Amino acid sequence: MTAYIVRRLVLIVPIVIGILFVTFLIKALIPTDAVTALYLGSVSEDKAAEAIAAIRAKYGLDQPWYQQFASYVGNILQGDLGESIRTRRPVAEEIGFRYWNTLILTFSALVVAVVVGVATGIVSAYFKNTWLDVTAMSVGIMGISMPAFFFGLVLIFIFSVQLRWLPVIGSGDFQSLILPAVTLGLIEAAPLSRITRSSMLDVMSREYVRTARAKGMAETYVVFRHALPNALLSILTIIGLQIGNLLGGAFIIEVIFGWHGIGELAVKAIQWRDFTITQAIILVSAGTYVLVNLVVDILYTRADPRIDYG
Amino acid sequence: MKRKNLYLASIVALSVLMSSHVAFSADDTLRFRLGEDPESLYNVETKSLTADAVINQYLLERLVYFDQTGTPKPWLAESWEVNDDQTELVFTLRDGIAFHDGTPFDADAVAAQFNTILDPATASPQLPSMGTLEKVEALDAKTVRFTFSEPYAPFFIALATEGGGINSPTAVAKHGRDYGRNPVGTGPYMLERWIPGTEITLVRNPNYHQQIRDDVANKGAPKPEKIILTVISEEGVAQAALETGELTAATLQADTIEQFVDNPDFKTIIDKTHPNLVFLEFNHRRAPFDDPAFRTAIGHAIDREAAVAAAWGGFASAALSPLSLGIPGFDGDIAQSHGTPFDPEKAKALLADLGWVDSDGDGLLDKDGKTARFVVRSYAGFSHIERTLQVIQSNLADIGIEVELETSDWGAFYPSLLQDDWDMDLMRWTNNDAGILTELFHSPGHRKTLPPSPKIDDILARCDQTMDPSLRAGCIRDAQKALLEEMIIVPILTNWVVTATQSNVEDYTIDYLGYLIPGDLWLSN
Repeated sequence: MTAYIVRRLVLIVPIVIGILFVTFLIKALIPTDAVTALYLGSVSEDKAAEAIAAIRAKYGLDQPWYQQFASYVGNILQGDLGESIRTRRPVAEEIGFRYWNTLILTFSALVVAVVVGVATGIVSAYFKNTWLDVTAMSVGIMGISMPAFFFGLVLIFIFSVQLRWLPVIGSGDFQSLILPAVTLGLIEAAPLSRITRSSMLDVMSREYVRTARAKGMAETYVVFRHALPNALLSILTIIGLQIGNLLGGAFIIEVIFGWHGIGELAVKAIQWRDFTITQAIILVSAGTYVLVNLVVDILYTRADPRIDYG
Repeated sequence: MKRKNLYLASIVALSVLMSSHVAFSADDTLRFRLGEDPESLYNVETKSLTADAVINQYLLERLVYFDQTGTPKPWLAESWEVNDDQTELVFTLRDGIAFHDGTPFDADAVAAQFNTILDPATASPQLPSMGTLEKVEALDAKTVRFTFSEPYAPFFIALATEGGGINSPTAVAKHGRDYGRNPVGTGPYMLERWIPGTEITLVRNPNYHQQIRDDVANKGAPKPEKIILTVISEEGVAQAALETGELTAATLQADTIEQFVDNPDFKTIIDKTHPNLVFLEFNHRRAPFDDPAFRTAIGHAIDREAAVAAAWGGFASAALSPLSLGIPGFDGDIAQSHGTPFDPEKAKALLADLGWVDSDGDGLLDKDGKTARFVVRSYAGFSHIERTLQVIQSNLADIGIEVELETSDWGAFYPSLLQDDWDMDLMRWTNNDAGILTELFHSPGHRKTLPPSPKIDDILARCDQTMDPSLRAGCIRDAQKALLEEMIIVPILTNWVVTATQSNVEDYTIDYLGYLIPGDLWLSN
């Protein structure tokens, strides 16, 4: 098991370098860089041409992309993320507290998604084809099809503007976490609910469930002790995939709710062409995703003791 | 029993949540919106307008300000003199003014501010606005001399805006590269706290000197104790926060401002003379846009009132002059006599004279086998600009010209104009001085598309070198006329800048250059 974990951790390095390689390729295709973006507001870049060239040289932006890539990877391996070209501050300082905020939002949303998604899935499966099931699944379809930014604005309108229960401006406290976490969580609850329902239905028709019922066991015991653990494996797989969605979804949600995470920064960094920031965010997001999936894989062995990674 | 407890607990939790209505500040704290987190609050190393507003409204002061007639007036400077060849400006500074950190304000501080910008090693984005400035010397503690290689009239605007705000040289030296996070000026407010990406808290300067400017109502200490600037990039969020009272005031776009106009819970401050211009530019390197007559025809085809109504919700003024009506020197009579008001019949007649007719009956004009199909570029992300493009597209379709609209974000759009694969672009600039005409339209032009034009180039150069305000106004009038005669661009409109405040906000005053005067503000209750 330990050997497996170590192997997976080592594999993260080539994955992340591969992702960085792709971002550098994309960057090479974009005509402007952060320095030009800083000077674009002023009409006569010509007058500042020397100054611009000096800054560009300082950040190595005058080199071909593959050289920039090589020195970037070299610095990363030494733990140096570089500095933001826009603010001239260390990248680690710029994204550190934001990464923490994004983790808080993502995992709060995950809790909402799992609680709501699994609960409605079980209820739907148990009361299959009743009005309860139909309602839950219809609401789920709405959740899947509704764009996150629209749903977010609807929630702001109801709970902040009309009812005045929650603040509009995200100050980072618990009150301002509620709306973004619920928005993101409910959207991800929908697919989770459908998967839970179908795998529960599958399990509930098995013979051991019928046997359990025949023995006269209480229904809650049958559902939670016999059926759910067996349905858990596919639910876990979906949750692992959804963390990726949540991290991605957080990018939009953070902008709408003014939640100061890496997603909000990423959107702006792209507009500013501040690639050291963009790359660092891609790096930590990809790293988080890979790590979370490793944790999910380890949880498989708990959910199903037959799984063994040797 | 256990389950009952859980039930009770959740009821309690829910009622706590529901009763905890968001607390709104009744105290002496104002909350304003920042569209983005400034990259730095050191005006030497940033050109961002958001940063400029924070720096120059609250923290720093300048040597001169502009009064409501657009004339420079003394501020941190007591007076100034210009030598006969207009290449030297000598300022006498005021006594008894100190920076927030106690450093006295003197000629050395002024010289340091401008020499840092001039130093190529600083790579300051403010350098271009210094024009022909060569060096700045402190002659004594109260006197400072600016030397120019040749006269440069737009310099007074540079002194009164952006890089013109004077920083404490002691603080600049002390903080080094972190100074942009620790700005120190002589202004009415001091930086208390900056949570990156979140908010900037400003606190009243307890040692503030008497306010010097004549256009300011409150000469004493500013009234609001604290000002919190919150970063809100989403327009919808700013709108909601204003509605709930979480923001004291916010500048909003035309789409979102409508619900606050004529609403008794809010006041709106409309700046109808904001110095911006939305205009259609041409790739003069490509036929038929190299022909002034063709460009004039395009000018007559544009229904500016339709653009104002459909694209800007009425919050704009139609423009016929290449100089924004908000910039000193703007001449409305020349705009009327030489401009191209909406007249599609005249546009069609002009095009027919040039040989552009629909000879094959496909509904589009053609000439020598070329059909009138062109590319119009602009920048994405601003619904007003995108809707203006649609108005232009439909106006041109009405006279038989088909245009394809291409938008991309500013950082991709603006450099793309240096290539030769486009015909027209929709542009918007904001600038406080007629020097913008030189920046944009002196050949080869800001996007290098303009052929040499000795007449226009001479007039523009003369305007920049004329220090005398009334002589300069005459020159700027000539420039407007010359640019319209050649129809270098087609002016479309000047949009208004609208700010909505809570109804208890009094004396929300914007000065001539668009800066808020925070010391005058107060809350009535």
